[in-house]
Amino acid sequence: MAEYTKPLPAISTLNQPYWDGLKQRQMVLPYCEACAKVWYPPAPFCPDCWSHDFRWQAVSGRGVVNSWVVFHQAYFSSFKDDIPYAVAEVELEEGPRLLTNLVEVANEDIAVGMSVEVVFDDVTDEVTLAKFRPRKG
Amino acid sequence: MSAGNLKDVAAVCGVGHTAYGRKMNRSQIDLAGEAISNALDDAGLGRDDLDGLIVSFGTPIGADADTLAYALGLKLRAYNQTWAHGRFTASSIQWAAMMVSAGLTNVVACMASISFSGFRKPMMGGSGDAEGGREAGGGHGEDPVFGMTSPGAGAALVARKYFDRFGATSEQLAAVAVAFRKHAAMNPNAIMRTPISVEDHQNSRFVCEPLHLLDYCLINDGAACVLVTTQERARDMAKRPVCISGMQGLPAGREEFIWTYPGFGTSQQTAFDYVPGPQPVYEMADVSPKYLDALFTYDAFSILAWTALERFGFCGQGEAAAFTQDGRIELGGELPMNTNGGLMSEGHIMGWNHQVEIVRQLRGECGERQIPNAQLIQWANAYGDSLVYRAG
Repeated sequence: MAEYTKPLPAISTLNQPYWDGLKQRQMVLPYCEACAKVWYPPAPFCPDCWSHDFRWQAVSGRGVVNSWVVFHQAYFSSFKDDIPYAVAEVELEEGPRLLTNLVEVANEDIAVGMSVEVVFDDVTDEVTLAKFRPRKG
Repeated sequence: MSAGNLKDVAAVCGVGHTAYGRKMNRSQIDLAGEAISNALDDAGLGRDDLDGLIVSFGTPIGADADTLAYALGLKLRAYNQTWAHGRFTASSIQWAAMMVSAGLTNVVACMASISFSGFRKPMMGGSGDAEGGREAGGGHGEDPVFGMTSPGAGAALVARKYFDRFGATSEQLAAVAVAFRKHAAMNPNAIMRTPISVEDHQNSRFVCEPLHLLDYCLINDGAACVLVTTQERARDMAKRPVCISGMQGLPAGREEFIWTYPGFGTSQQTAFDYVPGPQPVYEMADVSPKYLDALFTYDAFSILAWTALERFGFCGQGEAAAFTQDGRIELGGELPMNTNGGLMSEGHIMGWNHQVEIVRQLRGECGERQIPNAQLIQWANAYGDSLVYRAG
């Protein structure tokens, strides 16, 4: 397998559970026990009610494309062969929005509002990325 | 003056800049020195009258404030520097207004000095972009892990959402680029002066789709400087003061996404129908926006003109696409915008070139592109901060 040369996430104490979850094929996000908010990106405590009583909870992995773009310029040389590649902003059923790449769909078939679901891409031995594909049915 | 009300207390007493160019082979410190020196000449001041400095878009891309103070032999009583990010133009002027009104300093040079050509790695997107390395939708919606990089990509997300939500088109967005280029054609210091058509815009390559190359600002070298002092002091200087009448700070938080207004529904913003509330900038300046002679905005990307217009209520949500047609934002139109040509055609001096143009319009120094009898001009941005300037 060719060496993975694209940028890798900066895994920190703040986001470690998210990346650990993906590696175990589960998308987990912080959930506030006090006010039921689910949030992303990570914060040290609930950004709504400031409760410290939160846990990392599995989310559905389902959502819709909120917006999307197509890169025609290779800012990262490691993405050069992917040009033109799409980046989507997916709004999860639980509310937070994630930036991601879509798989199993041609750029011209992407649309705002399209239903998508998470797929797990093991890009290295340590890192698994959450990508999304169109949801059937 | 009532406590907390800084209406017209501070004023711009001088402006200066360098030539702007794609590749000038000059250091940021060199460019900064020329801009500051020209601004002091404009105000009829000498170096030792300058006792304050605020550098926006500072080190590592821009001129570094510490190096600048050393290199130019300045004797500063107070200074500050923002990191390398274009959004701090109004904030810098606001801090300067507060500094002079509080008596910390007499004259503050507010400025940016840029040499994009001086860097080996591209600084806007890609591996050299330290700020863009922030993940999960950082400053402008970056997430390098997925190849989501460069400020323009976040603006492209907003443009796609705008087109989809309001039924607008890229052809309509072209009107912004066409208008600013028309203005630049009348500006000898503008880098891009050849007029463009909607067709040219549509035929220009996609950078980050749906944005075309002609939806993007320039990447260039140059420096511009604005001197802020009290109105009282400015009255004794060489040029007619331009008063800082109203100010509105730079908001932040999960309901904000730099390239648009709250409710728009990108990044982590809640989606709702946006209706602008009272804008503090108008209350402080005690003006109605209908009396403005012109509007200037941070046009890093064409779509920002639309989201700024809607944020400040010049038109309703989703209406800027139609509002910007038929010459309405051109010189001679109902609301001329960016008469210098903006970041898109004059040059990207982080909005400092816009402040220079505002001051010159209010002094009546703009020649062919002069707005007749301009008295009141606003700087207002998609990200929510603002200044209202008044001819003194």
